[in-house]
Amino acid sequence: MSVTLLDIVWAAVGAVALVTAVSILGVSLVWLERKFLGRLQGRPGPNRVGPFGLLQPVADGIKLLWKEDVSPGPSAKVLFYVAPLLVFVPSFVVWLTIPFTRDLALRNLDTSVFFFVAFSTLSIVGVLLAGWSAASKYSVLGGFRAAAQLVSYEIPLIVIAITMVALAGSMSFVDIVEAQRTVPYIALVPLAAVLFFIAGLAEIGRTPFDIYLAESEVVGGPLVEYSGAHWAVFYLAEYGNTFLVGALTALLFLGGWSWPFGTLPAPAAVALFLTKSYFVTVLIFWVRGTYPRLRIDQMMSLGWKILIPLSFVTLVTVVVQRFYGWPSWTLTLMSLATLALAAWLQTRLQGAPARALAEKYRRDAVVVQAKPRLHREAPAAAKVEASS
Amino acid sequence: MTTTDQRQVDMMLNLGPQHPATHGVFRMLLTLDGERIVDMEPHIGYLHRGSEKLCENESYGQIVTLFDRMDYIANLNNELVFVRAVERLMGLEVPERAQFIRVLLCELNRVASHLLFLGTYGLDVGAMTPVMYTFRERERIQNIFESVTGARLMHNYIRIGGIKEDVPSDFTARVRAALEFVKRGVDETDRLLSFNEVFLLRTKGVGVIDAKTAVSCGLTGPNLRASGVPYDVRKDNPYEVYPYLTFKVPVGERGDCWDRYYMRVLECHESISMIEQCLDLLPDGPTMTQTRRIARPPKGEVYVHAENPRGDIGVFLVSDGSDKPYRLKVRPPSFCNLVALRPMLLNSYVADSIAILGSIDIVLGEVDR
Amino acid sequence: MIAGLKGFLTTIRWVFKRPVTANYPEEHLPVQPRYMGFPALLWDTTADEPFCTGCMVCVRECPTQCMSARMHDNPNFAAGTSHRRKIIEHFEINYNRCILCGICVDVCAFDAIEMTHEHELASYARNGARADLPILLSQGRRWMERSGWRPRNPEKNVAGVALAKRAPATAATKLDTGSGKAPSREDDA
Repeated sequence: MSVTLLDIVWAAVGAVALVTAVSILGVSLVWLERKFLGRLQGRPGPNRVGPFGLLQPVADGIKLLWKEDVSPGPSAKVLFYVAPLLVFVPSFVVWLTIPFTRDLALRNLDTSVFFFVAFSTLSIVGVLLAGWSAASKYSVLGGFRAAAQLVSYEIPLIVIAITMVALAGSMSFVDIVEAQRTVPYIALVPLAAVLFFIAGLAEIGRTPFDIYLAESEVVGGPLVEYSGAHWAVFYLAEYGNTFLVGALTALLFLGGWSWPFGTLPAPAAVALFLTKSYFVTVLIFWVRGTYPRLRIDQMMSLGWKILIPLSFVTLVTVVVQRFYGWPSWTLTLMSLATLALAAWLQTRLQGAPARALAEKYRRDAVVVQAKPRLHREAPAAAKVEASS
Repeated sequence: MTTTDQRQVDMMLNLGPQHPATHGVFRMLLTLDGERIVDMEPHIGYLHRGSEKLCENESYGQIVTLFDRMDYIANLNNELVFVRAVERLMGLEVPERAQFIRVLLCELNRVASHLLFLGTYGLDVGAMTPVMYTFRERERIQNIFESVTGARLMHNYIRIGGIKEDVPSDFTARVRAALEFVKRGVDETDRLLSFNEVFLLRTKGVGVIDAKTAVSCGLTGPNLRASGVPYDVRKDNPYEVYPYLTFKVPVGERGDCWDRYYMRVLECHESISMIEQCLDLLPDGPTMTQTRRIARPPKGEVYVHAENPRGDIGVFLVSDGSDKPYRLKVRPPSFCNLVALRPMLLNSYVADSIAILGSIDIVLGEVDR
Repeated sequence: MIAGLKGFLTTIRWVFKRPVTANYPEEHLPVQPRYMGFPALLWDTTADEPFCTGCMVCVRECPTQCMSARMHDNPNFAAGTSHRRKIIEHFEINYNRCILCGICVDVCAFDAIEMTHEHELASYARNGARADLPILLSQGRRWMERSGWRPRNPEKNVAGVALAKRAPATAATKLDTGSGKAPSREDDA
C-alpha cells in the first residue's frame, strides 16, 4: 500500500477537523462547567459575555492569548515549552479512533480500545515534565503527585476497558456499541461503570482526585508557573480529556449512539451519543460541586487496595460468565451485590461511627442552666461584672 | 564511574504568605521528606499594624474602631471585650437592655464567624460548594448588622457605657426571620460536608492534639473543647447577661480536625438558641449610661476576658487617668491557638497542613494585630 | 456512600432554584436605613449657609485623621441673618482614609455632619478620593432631600430658630425647621 498525496491531504483535513471539533467540545465544557457549578451553588454562573454567557470561554481564550507568556528564570526552557504539547497531542490523538456514530470516525481501527489505552498513558510524561522543568517546588510536588496518580489509576481504567472488550468480544468501539444495542452494559455490570467513572475522574484530575492540581495545597501543581497560551493549551487538554471520559463512558456503558428502539439516522445518532457524553460530563461536574479532595496517600490506597482488586474481580466474573455461558442477569446480580457490599462496608466502618460520635457530642454537651432574672424593672441594678 | 550520591536531602517548602489557603498572610516554612512534614516553622507579622501601640495614641472612643479591625470576622465580640475592660475600670453599670443587645449581636456574630469557618474549611479540603451556601446565610446576618449598626463589618457600635443607639423597631422580627434561614444553611452544610466520605477521610484522625498538650499550648475556644476540655468563658466566668441564658457547651473527645469542625457546627445551633432566648428576654429601658462624652477611666489596671468565636480573648488595660490608655495588651485567641499548630502538624502530609491550619480557624488580623 | 448521595441531592436542589446573587451593576441591593456611607456636610436653609462652623471637633476626634477644616468670620453674622460667628471656609475629607466609623457625627455639636448613604464614589482621577467643601455640601443637600433629615437640636443650631429665640420680634413663623424631637433614622425613605 502506497501513500498518495491525496491520502496526506485527507489526513491533514481530518486532523484539522478533529482538532477543531474537539476544541469546540472542550470550550463548550468550559461554559457548561462554570454555568452548572454556578447553579449548584446558587449563583447564576457566567452571564455577561453573549446570551447566557455562552461566549465566556471565547473571552477567556482571547484574554489568555493576549497575556504575556512568562517562564521562570531557572526553568529548563525547552522542556518547559515542550511539556504542554506532550499533554495536548496525546489527548487529541486519542480522539482519532473515537467513533461518533457507526461510520463517523477518523480511523475506524479494529483495535481502537487498544489505541486509546496506548495513547492516553502518554500525557503523564507531559505533566511530569511540566512539573519538573518549571523549577518550582510546588510544581515539582504536583508533578510527582500526578505521576503517581496517573500511573496507578491507569490500571483499573485499562482492566475495566479489557472487561468490556471481553464482554463484547471485540476491541473496536463500534463493535462494543453494536453489542449494546438491546441492553447497555451499565445494566449488566454497574460495578464496572462505577469503577470506570472513578478511575476516569482520577485520570483527568477532577475532584475528588484533583490532587496534583489542588489549588489550596500545591496551587495548581504542574501548571503553577504557566501563563497565557501555554496554560490555555493545558486547559484545553484538560477539558478535552474530561469530554473523553464522558464519551468513553457513553461508548462502553451507555450504548453510545444506539438505543433499544431500532436504528437511528446518522445525525440523530450523533446527537444521542453527544447527549450521553454530555450527561456523563455533567455528572463529573456535579461530583466536583459536591465532594472535597482526597489526600495523596488515601487516593493511592483507594486505587491499589480497592479499585484495582475490584476491577480484577469484575474482569474475572465477566470472563467466567462468558466462558460458562451463564445468563447475563447473574452478572448484574454479582455486580450489584459487590456494589452494595462496598456501600455497606463504607457506612459500617466510616459513616456510622462518625454519626454516633456526632450524636454523642450533641448529647453529652455541658449544659449551663440560666439563673432566674431578678429586678426585671430595674435595669440599673442588674449587675456589674460577675467575673473578678 | 563514580557512585551516585545517595544522601537524602529534605525539601524546604515555603507555604505562604501568598498561598491561597493560609487564610491571609500566614507563612509556614515546611521541611518535607517527600510529602511528609518533618519540621515546621511558622512566620507571622505580615499583617502587623501595631494596633496595641496605636491604642496608646487614641482616645478610648477611637480604640473601638481598632478592635473592630483585629478579628475582622467577629468584630462585635472584639468591641465588647475592650468596652467591658474600660467599663470595669470606670465602674460603669450598663443598662440591661444594652447588655442583652450586646450579647445578642455577639452571638449573631459568632454564628456568622462559624458559618464563614464551615465554608472556608470545606474550601481548604477541596469542596467548593459549602462556602457559597454559608456565605449566602452569613449575608443575612450581615444585613441585620447593617440595619442595626449601619455597617456590615466595621460596626463601631458597642460604646463605653452601652451601645450606640437602640435597635430598630423591626429588629426582633428580622432576626427571627433570618435565624430560620441560618438554621437551614447550617443544616445544609452539615448534610453536604460533615459526613461526606472524603471529608471524613481528610479530617478524622488528622491533626490530633490531646487535652494535656492543648492546655499547655494555651489553646482555647472550640479548638480546646474539641480535645475534651470543657472550658468556655461564658460558662466558667460569665459576663454580661450570659448567666440568664441556658445553653450547652459542646465538648469533643478526639481532638482531631473533624472534632474541631463539628464543635463549630454544634456551637452554631447553641448560639442560635441563645439568640432566641435573648429576643424573648429583651427588656425595655435605656441603652446608654449617662457618662461624659470623653471617657477618662481612673488610674489602675484591669484584665478582662471573653469568649470569642476563636477562643478566649483577653484585654489588659493600664490607665494613667488620661483619656488615652497608658498600655493596652490583647491576648488574641488566634495567636495563642497557632502555638498548637506545630504539635498538630508534625508527621502529617502537606495536604494536611492546610486542613489543620484551616481547622484552627485563625484570623491573621488578630494574630499579627 | 449514603452521605455522599445526600450531598448530591443537596447540591442539585439549587439548580432548580433561583440564584441568590444580584447582578450588580444592573441591580443594586438597597442599603439599610441606618447604613453609614461617607459623611457629608449639611445645609442650613434658613440662613443659606452650612451648619458647620469649623470648630475642628470632628477633625480632632477622627481616628484616622481623614479630615481637615478651616474657619473664617461669617459674613452672614455681620449681616444679622445668622447666629454663627464663624463659618467653615475649607473642609476636606480624604475618602481613602475614612473608615466610616461615624465618630465625627457623634461628636458634632452643631448638627453639621451626617453619615449619608453615599457610596460607590470610585473615580478614575488620581486625586479623586478627596472631597472638598462644595462636594460635601452637595452630598449633604442630596441627603437632606432624600432622607428628610431634621436637626437634633434646632434651638441651638438652626439659624432661623436661634435668631427667633434671641429676638422674638422677628418671629420665624415661616421657617420649616421641624420639631425638637430627636430625629430617627428609621424615618428615612
